[in-house]
Amino acid sequence: MNIKDLSDEILFTPGHTACAGCGAPPIVRNIMKIFGKDTIIYTPANCLLVFGGTYPYLAWKVPYFHEAFENTGACISGVARALRKQGKKTLVVGIAGDGGTYDIGIQALSGAAERNEDVIYICYDNEAYMNTGIQRSGSTPYGAATTTTPAGTKIPGKLDHKKDMAEIMRAHEVPYVATMSIAHQRDFLEKAKKARDVEGFRYLHIISPCPTGWRFDPSLTIEMSRKAVDSGMWTLFEAEYGEITNIYKPKKKIPVKEYLMGQGRFRHFTPEMVEELQRWVDHKWKRIYGEEP
Amino acid sequence: MYEIRFHGRGGQGGKMAAEAYALAAFLEGNYAVSFPFFGAERRGAPVKAFTRVDDKKIRIKTQVYEPDYVVVLDETLIETQDVLEGLKKDGTVIINTQRKPEEVRLSKPVKCATVDATGIALEVLGRPITNTAILGALARATGRVKIESVEQAIMEKFGARLGRESGEKNARAARMAYEQTLVGTSQGGKEFVPRPQWLPDVHEMPIGGAIGTMKTEAGLIGIGSFVENKTGDWRTFIPAIDKEKCIGCRFCWFYCPEGCISMVEGKAEVNYDYCKGCGICAHECPAKAIEMTREVKA
Ligand SMILES: Cc1ncc(C[n+]2csc(CCOP(=O)(O)OP(=O)(O)O)c2C)c(N)n1
Ligand code: SF4
Ligand code: SF4
Ligand code: SF4
Repeated sequence: MNIKDLSDEILFTPGHTACAGCGAPPIVRNIMKIFGKDTIIYTPANCLLVFGGTYPYLAWKVPYFHEAFENTGACISGVARALRKQGKKTLVVGIAGDGGTYDIGIQALSGAAERNEDVIYICYDNEAYMNTGIQRSGSTPYGAATTTTPAGTKIPGKLDHKKDMAEIMRAHEVPYVATMSIAHQRDFLEKAKKARDVEGFRYLHIISPCPTGWRFDPSLTIEMSRKAVDSGMWTLFEAEYGEITNIYKPKKKIPVKEYLMGQGRFRHFTPEMVEELQRWVDHKWKRIYGEEP
Repeated sequence: MYEIRFHGRGGQGGKMAAEAYALAAFLEGNYAVSFPFFGAERRGAPVKAFTRVDDKKIRIKTQVYEPDYVVVLDETLIETQDVLEGLKKDGTVIINTQRKPEEVRLSKPVKCATVDATGIALEVLGRPITNTAILGALARATGRVKIESVEQAIMEKFGARLGRESGEKNARAARMAYEQTLVGTSQGGKEFVPRPQWLPDVHEMPIGGAIGTMKTEAGLIGIGSFVENKTGDWRTFIPAIDKEKCIGCRFCWFYCPEGCISMVEGKAEVNYDYCKGCGICAHECPAKAIEMTREVKA
């Protein structure tokens, strides 16, 4: 699957109100080209909810619902079951931010995965609660400055490392788990297609750079996705029933510093902090690729 | 007490300007508060911020509806909304524009100060961030605070965040604006048609609030209706595609956050009604066929 195979039909229209250069709109627009019209979308509170529509206006061209922060997993479970009872194959998709996934929605998500509900859950990960003004989440990387972990004299940004959410989902041994980056076009599209075609619980986790919250020039959004993968900060893999079936290994690994540069949220980093993040990446690298970085 | 309303676009620093002005007034022994208007606004969308200054404690917490002064950081905003709404009778509007006060057309003739804050910011800061320069114009047009206090407030506020050198540069931008501000009277007579709203009564309201695509007096509503929301006026930079160089790879088409690039006979084409000028297409184009330039607004 290649971008040339994608249709011209748009199911998430222009006119949405995301910040210029936001990473999330191209993710949802292109994924919807693969999922197609027979899809129902659920979103809890997050940027995508707000920029995708303000009642009565809407960018989505498929049925679209807003549910509470905590219950994306539960809502899509119920809707999918009702549709299947009626003999309908409609794709039921929940899309939540990292706050809505790592922290607030994790119980309903875990329950839906455990019951192997026939749904797709997507986490678009911009590594903080962006809609309410950049508060740290369980996904925020070590050292990043957010409004609740400001870099100053008391603390040097977030004190804890990013939680490995995709691994938590893999441990549920569901039919399909994949991590994605839109900068890796073919990989991105293949995974979206596979998710569409598999039955049972599917979890897609996509990096979604945020120029506003990460503080970088909006033209660099795709480059940030690319560098996140090349530095090892973001890992692309697929897992089926808990077994890893595919791992993408960057051709050339770049130092984590190259990824941090140009992002205001890391501007205060000392050499020791860079080293600490590099140590974390190297450890993850070894765990995933089974070799020294 | 006097009240100021700042109009800008998300990301232009209207909130920081409101805060820095409050600090300048505070440094002169006043009480001052400032706060932004929180909505669903994103970077590039029109936003507001407010400052109140008094010689006694300020208890009022509401937005500013009847300002003494209105500050406009982005000239394009005066075309689409009546920035003078609620302005007090002898109020003043301060606008970032290359035009003279007499050349600016608003809903009514008012005392008007203009300054090319964008030009000054580009010259002094190298970036079109106008929220400090405009404060110099505000000090000049109103005479409410001394320019020295504005400079000091900027150094404290911006210096703390961006480093001393940057603080000084921003203070210099304010001083230059202070010196270059023109004060006069605007033209009046510009009409603004309020955007119609969809206000159904209870019987017209769809069950569960769920609506398909519907044509109403407020335009299209429901599924897919955001196509009528033209976001092109958020832009400060504009892409131009050189069709000779375009190799039709579709990268820009795939990555554009707005989905406003289409492929016509194998070549990319931008729909400027929606393009927000992020520059992703130019950055990702492997053929270097797209160039971003500063948009010249009519
Ligand atoms: C139960 C509940 N708590 C808090 C909020 C306020 N709220 C709305 S959006 C949001 C942030 C969402 O963050 P995330 O899920 O990471 O998505 P993002 O906005 O970053 O895309 C918060 C805290 C809410 N709507 N509901
Ligand atoms: S704050 Fe970040 S995630 Fe939210 S719309 Fe803006 S760029 Fe996108
Ligand atoms: S990215 Fe460049 S070469 Fe490719 S389609 Fe767009 S303009 Fe043409
Ligand atoms: S600058 Fe390019 S990528 Fe950005 S909105 Fe405009 S056309 Fe799309």
